[in-house]
Amino acid sequence: MPTTQSPSPRNDLDLVEWYFEQGWTDGLPVVPPTPERMSQMIAALGGEPTVVEARIPPRWGSLTREVLATNLILAGCLPAYAPIVRTAIKALTSPHFNLNGVQATTHMAAPLMIVNGPIRKDIGLNSGSNVFGSGCRANATIGRAIRLVLLNVGGAWPGDLDKSTLGHPGKYTFCIAENEEESPWSPYHVEQGYEASDSTVFCIAAEGPHSVTNHVANDPEGVLDSVVSAMSTIAHNNAVSSGSCAVIIGPEHATTIADNRWTRQDVRKYLWENTTNTYDDISFHGRYGKIYNRNLPKWYKRESGARIPIVPTPDDIHLFVAGGTAGRFSAFLPGWGHMSAPVLRCLDGHHPAVGTCVDGTCEL
Amino acid sequence: MTEQRLPSGQVVYDPRGNVTVTPMALAPRRTSLNGLRIGFLDNSKWNASKLLRHIANQLETTVSVGQIQFFTKQSFSKPAESVLIDTIAESTDIAITAIGD
Repeated sequence: MPTTQSPSPRNDLDLVEWYFEQGWTDGLPVVPPTPERMSQMIAALGGEPTVVEARIPPRWGSLTREVLATNLILAGCLPAYAPIVRTAIKALTSPHFNLNGVQATTHMAAPLMIVNGPIRKDIGLNSGSNVFGSGCRANATIGRAIRLVLLNVGGAWPGDLDKSTLGHPGKYTFCIAENEEESPWSPYHVEQGYEASDSTVFCIAAEGPHSVTNHVANDPEGVLDSVVSAMSTIAHNNAVSSGSCAVIIGPEHATTIADNRWTRQDVRKYLWENTTNTYDDISFHGRYGKIYNRNLPKWYKRESGARIPIVPTPDDIHLFVAGGTAGRFSAFLPGWGHMSAPVLRCLDGHHPAVGTCVDGTCEL
Repeated sequence: MTEQRLPSGQVVYDPRGNVTVTPMALAPRRTSLNGLRIGFLDNSKWNASKLLRHIANQLETTVSVGQIQFFTKQSFSKPAESVLIDTIAESTDIAITAIGD
């Protein structure tokens, strides 16, 4: 929680402790901005420090370039990371995403960012081993800078405007890149209509990653049945609120699937067709009376034995390849629900001639 | 300006950004519910409708209300559509809403 304490009047203050005292950190030490660092970071954002890039709900603070630069430096970012953070912020504040709801919900969802395109290599984003874990400055500090903006400018302090019952570790940092080099398929953003030479940021409000282990299957069906198993539970928010979700296929699993000539769309359709939740499951077999659930699509049958898809269509399963080349693992990340749509935005703000795009950000 | 100089001479930066708000006055408060048209706005959460219908039933037995109407938001996480807000404003004298998580 932020405090309103004033700094103590003493010389040579420990500025790391000073920022803690103000309540302007995520709970970890920050890098104190200096005039020199600020000048470099504002230049990386295009200069003009008073330009307002976005307003961040639910506090609706104005994110000027100067304020964005401050948070980038506090997080430990290099100036080269600035375009990705700005792109992510513009995507998150598009109407499709409903950041106001994501910030304030009692659910644990947090914005996950997945980067595609040449900028991954330019700045050293990790898309390989331990991709969701620690150890890479770009992943760690880009995600952290976005979180600091959501906290400091958006006011999403736990217990105050962020009402999440549990939260999850992705509320410190939650940014990865697709492993395009190890993927047997076209990159995600190319599939969505961008050029391979474009760099994009995909954003989805997501729960934490759930491991999918399968060391046995040598065919697509076997690998994907394990993903289906992870998806077929009534505990996650997609089960009761529909919406969209993300699936991360590890390179070994992807190779097994693609060696059998399955495309990304084949994978999505198989996953969508074969999840096993039923109306009986999501209505607790009538134990608490008749349940309709207005947060699922109206066209779902509400009768015993009816299958309840995890998300409305195969296209609502957002499929990426990421992770290290050793290990037969994938991951399922449930979304928040129909209340937020995933978005995709190109670093230069242009959009392809498909989808519903507003001001450079496209609803998926 | 986010930059400030501390008594120690060190420069620090405020990362919060300004909030620009336009103050809005609340509608005048009612002193009695008798004879009024009462609207109930269900936010579409799991138990919101149950809670509001219970309140409506209680009011009907304790107050001589003029009329009761029910409305539903399309998404509990987003603002009600402006058309719905206009309808509620025109057709009711007082509106009650609730979260039913």
